[in-house]
Amino acid sequence: MSRRLPASFGPGTEHGENSRGKDKPSLELLSFHSIEALKEVGVTEVVLAINYQPEVMLNFLKDFESKLDIKITCSQETEPLGTAGPLALARDKLIDGSGEPFFVLNSDVISEYPFAELIKFHKARGGEATIMVTKVDEPSKYGVVVMEEETGKVDRFVEKPKIFVGNKINAGIYLLNPSVLDRISLKPTSIEKEVFPKIAADQKLYAMVLPGFWMDIGQPRDYITGLRLYLDALRKKSPYKLAVGPHIVGNVLLHETAVIGEGCLIGPDVAIGQGCVVESGVRLSRSTVMRGVRIKKHACISSSIIGWHCTVGQWARVENMTILGEDVHVCDEIYSNGGVVLPHKEVKSSILKPEIVM
Amino acid sequence: MGSSEERVVAVIMVGGPTKGTRFRPLSLNIPKPLFPLAGQPMVHHPISACRRIPNLAQIFLIGFYEEKEFALYVSSISNELRVPVRYLKEDKPHGSAGGLYNFRDYIMEDNPSHVVLLNCDVCCSFPLPQMLEAHKGYGGMGTLLVIKVSAEAANQFGELVADPVTNELLHYTEKPETFVSDLINCGVYIFTPNIFTAIEDVFMQRKDRANLRRATSFEALQSAAKALPPDYVRLDQDILSPLAGKKELYTYETLDFWEQIKTPGMSLKCSGLYLSQFRHTSPQLLAAGDGTRSATIIGDVYIHPSAKIHPSAKIGPNVSISANARIGAGVRLISCIILDDVEIKENAVVIHAIIGWKSSIGKWSRVQGEGDYNAKLGITILGEAGSVEDEVVVINSIVLPNKTLNISVQEEIIL
Repeated sequence: MSRRLPASFGPGTEHGENSRGKDKPSLELLSFHSIEALKEVGVTEVVLAINYQPEVMLNFLKDFESKLDIKITCSQETEPLGTAGPLALARDKLIDGSGEPFFVLNSDVISEYPFAELIKFHKARGGEATIMVTKVDEPSKYGVVVMEEETGKVDRFVEKPKIFVGNKINAGIYLLNPSVLDRISLKPTSIEKEVFPKIAADQKLYAMVLPGFWMDIGQPRDYITGLRLYLDALRKKSPYKLAVGPHIVGNVLLHETAVIGEGCLIGPDVAIGQGCVVESGVRLSRSTVMRGVRIKKHACISSSIIGWHCTVGQWARVENMTILGEDVHVCDEIYSNGGVVLPHKEVKSSILKPEIVM
Repeated sequence: MGSSEERVVAVIMVGGPTKGTRFRPLSLNIPKPLFPLAGQPMVHHPISACRRIPNLAQIFLIGFYEEKEFALYVSSISNELRVPVRYLKEDKPHGSAGGLYNFRDYIMEDNPSHVVLLNCDVCCSFPLPQMLEAHKGYGGMGTLLVIKVSAEAANQFGELVADPVTNELLHYTEKPETFVSDLINCGVYIFTPNIFTAIEDVFMQRKDRANLRRATSFEALQSAAKALPPDYVRLDQDILSPLAGKKELYTYETLDFWEQIKTPGMSLKCSGLYLSQFRHTSPQLLAAGDGTRSATIIGDVYIHPSAKIHPSAKIGPNVSISANARIGAGVRLISCIILDDVEIKENAVVIHAIIGWKSSIGKWSRVQGEGDYNAKLGITILGEAGSVEDEVVVINSIVLPNKTLNISVQEEIIL
């Protein structure tokens, strides 16, 4: 496909909003996989709508750009603009005169990305906007999309319904015609509550059911589960991308530049980023290790997220949803049980109960 | 004073099984006095201190454990030190003075000039030869080892007042409610044989008083019912308090360490104190290594010759490893006691903990205490034949014998 399809990443859905404004390491890995999928359907430029200091992002954006051969720019809001406002802010970047639709993805969700099918669906229905929806067990917790099952035409939205009106909810992945931007002004606006209901009222909003898994990873625990689902899907589709070897258990995504020492046991459900060094005798399970991390000898990490350029000391134990921000150093022999550590900190004493380390 | 006429007999009070309850679960399968500190049975430390006394004739252990529990130890230590060590079993607790008196015929059989008396659950440097010299200089019936502690801690012990010039014991009171003094009784004494006369006097007084009561009022009858058995004589309340200020008792102050070993937490601390004492007294008992041919050793560490330690392990400070323990590759041990036949597998971490006999610690598992020796769950204790499975974390917990842990626990007592 030769079409130019800009894409935009919104800062969060209504139910994932708690992650807004945090310098969250999860973005790196997730963005990578969704941007890769966008590239496959001919997207040539990605706009990241962000609301925190861009220098944190900029470093790895350069990597993405060269690796995926795709243009990535940032559009930074100076005041919170909700879930629609950032699109108005990036209006010039999203409109190129071709009249082709653009993608909007929420960075708080992880799923399979059937973008080609979405484009086909959108063209076939001829609506102004198409949103992807996913089936949930407990629709009463979410905003439910009431739609015609046959055509996918959206009738209305019902927020946290007390009686059953449907079991499909907004998955946070949209394909929008440029005309949608005319419905959004540059002020705090909710795309879910203010923009989509109006398009639906005009009979121009369609919903496509997302096949496969979907996960709101606004919470770290969900993120770890999301990673597991993603790796499961990868096992089915592209198993060659997963690491193999005597020290690997289950699904492990290992960057080609990462180094693993002797006597390690890695997996299941582990992603290890670029340039990481994992020394000998290390145990890793159910965790994401971002770019440039060093994990020293005999350390044991489970169910945790290790941010960029962290070091984890010898015989350290990091577990139970510990989240290390960028450039955190965990000293030798330290135990962290669910510690959330802000960037650039040194952890010198054990964290026995989950807490935020400022 | 010709040394030929001088003979010293040492008596170590070891208590009995009903007294070691605070030491559970470690006292469930070994008498507390035989629990290893710095790789040696607890009672071994005072015994080897007694051995340094010139003209030591004999050592008695007095307690109400079964004889067979001490038989093996007593015979091996007698051989090792070439001094007779005997275990004397009390039929029931008589108090420390009562116990001493009960066995006066044994104690006096060598016609000693001095009797050293100490409690087994005391951890200190036992400066007995110096104390004996001081005692001879004072010319009294007895000398107590004393130490200064913080005013807040003092009321846990016997508080006493000593004359700053003559060192005479002026006043003694056991565990007072209000502050008396920051000088406390260490539970280490040297007496002349006159101590038996002093104890006998207490018996006589008791008998007289009991006879008197029998003859008099109803009120006295009631208080007699509450009184201790007539043959129970405490050293502190019944001997030290009444004799204070009568030029009979003197004090010798130690500036070294002193602790009482009532709990497993304290045993870990005391193991460390004895290990650091080895640095001066028995450096040959301490391990060394830099990770090339043998494990990396940090600080004071005792490793039994039969224990197998992988060279990639890192051990110390304050670690004591008993017989036949197997420590795997990449294991990290800090401040802990590893008992006989324990296996610790690859990359496991043990910090501030006591690992019971025949226990097994899995790969990448972690057994840790906060390291507060006085808190109930300040160190983690794994009872005999415990098993911690791979990657499991056990923090600030006490695990009774024969338990398998396959999920992580924190601040728990696993029954």
